[in-house]
Amino acid sequence: MTTRFFFGVLATALGVVGVAFSPDSELPIPKKIDFNRDVRPILSDNCYKCHGPDAAVVAGDLRLDQRASAVKDRRGEFVIKPKHSADSTLLERVQDKDPDYQMPPPDSGKPRLSERQIEILKRWIDQGAEYREHWAFVPPKPAPLPANVPSTWKSNPIDAFVYQGLVEQGLKPEPSADRNTLVRRVALTLTGLPPSPREVEQFVNDKKPGAYERMLDRYLASPRYGEHQARYWLDAVRYGDTHGLHLDNERGIYPYRDWVIRAFNQDVPYDDFVTWQLAGDLLPDPTTEQLIATGYIRMNPTTSEGGAIEAEFLAKNTFDRVDTTSTVLLGLTTGCARCHDHKYDPITQKDYFQLYAYFNSTAENPFDGNELYPVPTTRAYSPEQEAQRKQWQAKLSQLESKVSLAVAESWLTTAYVPLPVIGGWKISGPYPGANFDAVHGDVQPPERGEGDWRDVKIEVGKPAPSLVGRENASAYVKTTLTAKESRTVELRVGSDDGVRVWLNGNLVHDNKVLRAFGSAPDKVALPLKQGGNDLLIKVSNSGGGDGLSIDLGDPVSQQIEKTIGLKSTDPAGFLSAARKLYLQGGPKNALSTEYQGIVAKLVSQESATPLTLIARELPKPREAFVLKRGEYDQPTDKVGRGIPKALGKLPPGAPNNRLGFAQWVTSPSNPLAARVFVNILWQKNFGKGLVLTSEDFGNQGEWPSHPELLDYLAVRFVKSGWSIKQLQRMMLTSNAFRQRSSMDRVKLAKDPENRLLSRGPRFRLDAEVIRDQALYVSGLLREQVGGRGFKPYQPPGLWEAISFVESTTSRYEQDFNDSIYRRSLYLFWKRTSPHPTMLAFDAPMRESCVVRRSRTNTPLQALVTMNETAFLESQRVFAERLQRAFLTDTARLDFAFKACLGRPAAASEANLMRSALKRYRAKFHRDAGAAAALAGIGLAPRETSLPPVETATWMMIASTLFNTDEFLTQH
Amino acid sequence: MDPRREFELMMTRRQLFGKAALGVGTAALHTLLGGSLLGLAGSASAAQGARFPNFAPKAKRVIYLFMNGGPSQMDLWDYKPKMVDEFDKDLPDQIRRGQRITTMTSGQARFPIAPSRYKFTKHDNGGDGVWVSELLPHTSKIVRELCVIKSMWTEAINHDPAVTYIQTGSQLPGRPSLGAWVSYGLGSANKDLPTYVVLHSKVSSGKVDQALFTRLWGTGFLSSEHQGVALRSGGDPVLYLSDPEGVDRQTRRHMLDDVSKLNELQLKEFGDPEIAARIKQYEMAYRLQASVPDLMDMSSETEATYELYGKEAREAGTFAANCLLARRLAERGVRFIQIFHRGWDQHGNLAGDLPSQCKDVDQACAALIMDLKQRGLLDETLVIWGGEFGRTVYCQGPLTRENYGRDHHPRCFTMWMAGGGVKPGTVYGETDAYSYNIVDTDGNPINPSVDHFTPGAVHIHDLNATVLNQLGVDHTKLTYRYQGRDFRLTDVHGHVVKELLI
Repeated sequence: MTTRFFFGVLATALGVVGVAFSPDSELPIPKKIDFNRDVRPILSDNCYKCHGPDAAVVAGDLRLDQRASAVKDRRGEFVIKPKHSADSTLLERVQDKDPDYQMPPPDSGKPRLSERQIEILKRWIDQGAEYREHWAFVPPKPAPLPANVPSTWKSNPIDAFVYQGLVEQGLKPEPSADRNTLVRRVALTLTGLPPSPREVEQFVNDKKPGAYERMLDRYLASPRYGEHQARYWLDAVRYGDTHGLHLDNERGIYPYRDWVIRAFNQDVPYDDFVTWQLAGDLLPDPTTEQLIATGYIRMNPTTSEGGAIEAEFLAKNTFDRVDTTSTVLLGLTTGCARCHDHKYDPITQKDYFQLYAYFNSTAENPFDGNELYPVPTTRAYSPEQEAQRKQWQAKLSQLESKVSLAVAESWLTTAYVPLPVIGGWKISGPYPGANFDAVHGDVQPPERGEGDWRDVKIEVGKPAPSLVGRENASAYVKTTLTAKESRTVELRVGSDDGVRVWLNGNLVHDNKVLRAFGSAPDKVALPLKQGGNDLLIKVSNSGGGDGLSIDLGDPVSQQIEKTIGLKSTDPAGFLSAARKLYLQGGPKNALSTEYQGIVAKLVSQESATPLTLIARELPKPREAFVLKRGEYDQPTDKVGRGIPKALGKLPPGAPNNRLGFAQWVTSPSNPLAARVFVNILWQKNFGKGLVLTSEDFGNQGEWPSHPELLDYLAVRFVKSGWSIKQLQRMMLTSNAFRQRSSMDRVKLAKDPENRLLSRGPRFRLDAEVIRDQALYVSGLLREQVGGRGFKPYQPPGLWEAISFVESTTSRYEQDFNDSIYRRSLYLFWKRTSPHPTMLAFDAPMRESCVVRRSRTNTPLQALVTMNETAFLESQRVFAERLQRAFLTDTARLDFAFKACLGRPAAASEANLMRSALKRYRAKFHRDAGAAAALAGIGLAPRETSLPPVETATWMMIASTLFNTDEFLTQH
Repeated sequence: MDPRREFELMMTRRQLFGKAALGVGTAALHTLLGGSLLGLAGSASAAQGARFPNFAPKAKRVIYLFMNGGPSQMDLWDYKPKMVDEFDKDLPDQIRRGQRITTMTSGQARFPIAPSRYKFTKHDNGGDGVWVSELLPHTSKIVRELCVIKSMWTEAINHDPAVTYIQTGSQLPGRPSLGAWVSYGLGSANKDLPTYVVLHSKVSSGKVDQALFTRLWGTGFLSSEHQGVALRSGGDPVLYLSDPEGVDRQTRRHMLDDVSKLNELQLKEFGDPEIAARIKQYEMAYRLQASVPDLMDMSSETEATYELYGKEAREAGTFAANCLLARRLAERGVRFIQIFHRGWDQHGNLAGDLPSQCKDVDQACAALIMDLKQRGLLDETLVIWGGEFGRTVYCQGPLTRENYGRDHHPRCFTMWMAGGGVKPGTVYGETDAYSYNIVDTDGNPINPSVDHFTPGAVHIHDLNATVLNQLGVDHTKLTYRYQGRDFRLTDVHGHVVKELLI
């Protein structure tokens, strides 16, 4: 049994082994074996689970990921004996028919190795069994450009690599696509919208050299470019407008989305782009933009479910950050090392928790409190606004310095009249009424000076909820205001719902309103007499919650009150505040008018600017431990922060925190970041990545289709100063990108998924693009960059069917203005129930990180483009547009094809559509009701002068075009 | 070239509704096609070398009745008569054994025992009998068909993680749901309807204070065609199914014919099999527009049927109507049907709310079982009833003999299964006198671990492994390669509980 130690404990159970298949059996076996390309995938997939990097489970003292272990002399036996495959037990074991001996063992669920795989192992051993480090963990080096590439084909270096790959398979590239196709392909790739017929014409008619580049640069410069590119990033970082878990309340973080758009448009270098997101808060004196970018850290789904345990969610939130960061920036599956050492990649469990330690020390509460803006937050001023504010503030200081201190002080002391003293509060009620009119209007005992009164606590400036405590009822509260002298004071009163106020028995305010707390309060002038004043307030409630909030004195009076208090404790503070107050509340003059004007601008800009969630580091990091099996309540060894050994180390001088981590990500010591981003961009442009598994560059990831090209681009990307637009431009100016996208039998057989790029890209458009395109073609699309998510048409009941009743997103309230025609990127994204159109076309939920969408082809998609209201409405508006702009069927058809498909109709197509026109016209003439119904779809104003029969007829034509494969496809 | 031929091979993996004749799922198809047409190295492919079903299935389909919120096991199934004497006494430390509890009750000064106020009766199930609460008068009559599991357990203690866990095998979002895995592995068994259908039920009390999430019937990293399709009771049963007013069937037919012709021209020019697939999908959409209304047309149901399910079954969207619809879906070969019913989270006022919850579901559950049986469908249909966890014996909030509340309890809870090859008339697993810990046959507490199966204790991974087993699927073989790892519904856990099976 000398071989037994080899694989350790052997399986005894006989599992059901499925039918083995060898997907690769027809592929040729390379003469010279490349360890990384040919051997590693076999070993990793079939052996590493038990004979790999996970130190805890190494079976039979054998590691096949390490040459020293694999070739060790084991009492005269060798698992691998270099140059001697016949003496290598590895080959025996993978071919053994005895279930007790065969590898992988039957209970592993792994099929037997194919003949081709065995032959590869054999050749590799006979060639010396050399190991190479996994390609992705070695920093990219620029490969020499392949020679002998015909100059007609080579537009830029990309083509040299692609051509070489094709030649090896005996394939030839396709010729360039025609200009109509090219302009549509470029416009959709860069901006996510098709070219307008005018843009098509401009390019088709541009006969001067460089027309393609000029056209491309126009789209690169378009603000739509950033919108379209941002979308992919938002998938990756799982952007949503709700918290994502349990209540799934709204969360205010869309300024982050808008920043991503801006960053792409301004071509913020990728290293900055990454650093700001990971650690903008740790940069010296961060700008607002850099802070907004740290919304990345806050993007994980959060909860505040009753009963949840804080430590558990601190851990879960941090896991999510580590896993997302690893996938998006590093193409690594570190999540596997949360419970044990990684089975395939050199990442230990300790490594994982050292990464974890970078991300567990931000200041926000692990629970979101179900709040819209769980702190820390910042006002999302744009760079322009920020500059403007600085100017305004400087101007204020300058104006303040013009005020004489003596004047300010004397004004403050003489103008100061103390606010009245508020006595204790009493309450009486509830007093029910038949309906809200009665509740609010009926005279109850307190108004007659009667009623049962009890004490109640009401604090100035704080909401006092549940004073009434039931539906259709009112309650009264009263107190005494004692004034030093007679004066008028401002009372600000907020209420849920209605409110009436009496001062000394006189009704001074009456607001019969249905409203919630938090609406702007009513301002009531109270003419107080010297001494005691009786204040009586009635709250009337129709249903739901109720309550009252009270504030006394206008803001300036309140400020004076506070400032006077400073005089003895903080004289300097008193004086500085005195000048400000003097300018705000003192005598009116040119100076104070100017001052107050600027203050008003600052205030109004502040209230118009949304808050957004940001990251802030705790002054002292939280401790981190290796968590046994990844369980939050099973800490073992304490760990510090650190980069996994296999992936380099922090750059010299980098702080050991998120900022240092960010600097490492884009440092030359990290072999992954540039490759991973290049690959994601390639995938976006060509439909599939050079590494198909864009989420995994590890041992289990796919071997790149063009490794040298990937490295070439990665090196070049870094050299360019991480310019995404330059990289983008290079990919799109290649001939590889410009090829015709047609396929033939040979290419379908040899290059079925177009990994070799034997033709141009051809794939179904993304959900967002499909919707945006319909709106754009019709002219309905409303272009406005950024802002709060919008809520378009959506079948009723989708949110209601699943939501927690108290959630702020429990009911879908559609918008009824033209915001419903905005780009899909701005859809309000409820993570537990995204818009069905998006889901139908494979958009992810945004609950977890996705860098590669699936691309399906289903009947439910057909139903969306046939029947969803936004699509129907687009068809209606398009039909009206055609009638308005063109007089003849021929002209209308011609434009319809150009607008929808970017090309004129072929004769056969035009004939088909002409007979369709005839048919639909006849039908709608017969059935005017049907025509009217169809032509009335959607909220967009109708062109009443147009005959419904014509509109309905052209809608059917539009619907036909909107549902063609060509319309739905990038090609 | 002949794109049609390529298409025949290519289309199946992309379609929502598989080919009835083949009855193969995506995973299986990858195997059949050997991946050679589908990619360089079977990327993102399915369980290598495995073909589904792995062995002869006992069940062709599943109807999963999900009680969202956590039904109180000791008020329904887990009879604890001794608790009457323990009223308002503290939960003994040796029972709680320091186990964690939620922060909703961890701050309580006391953990006073709240005995169930409901009367239990022992019903003949053909074996040792089974105790059932008076709240389930109809279900108690069909216990001969049920396999009651009193020893379910989970680690998750709050709703969102717990319901995500039992539905997807992970407490964090991002993994495929059970139904999606089934769709992926087995494909469809019908031509005109989705593989995985989800039904949401009205709750008559209106108290639906726990949420659901699309992820519970989502696909995670699986291709999105495996997503559960919600059949709605209001508006279009399937989203966007109906053509707009003004477009009749004939007009739609004409329009689709034109689309087809335009697509054929493209196919000729570009040769992309994806175009051929799209032509087919539009035809399926057209068929769906007929088959769904036929499914929803209840006019053929008899008086006797409505008597069986109860009069609520006449109102679309009730749990009873959904059960009836589930039977119709089962008859049409839909592989996985899941009915959600919310409102089972009785933290307080249990006596006020639980009866109405039970009334919503009790008769219809029993009716569904009997109806399937009389139509000869029960044997091949696995029916499952239960929620994401159980509830505590100690009271949350005010306690009286008549009324009380209960917090979440993951350490034991009750589910039942019927049909589909599970043992009828059985009770599996036992809990201690407090319905707090799972115990062995001698009454000694079991401290079960997710790492290994302990007879008598059924982890949610074990349940899912068993469900897949009944469908002929080895849960260790139903894998999907994502991020370099072969993911499973049961993660690295799960054990088929043979004792539950015929």
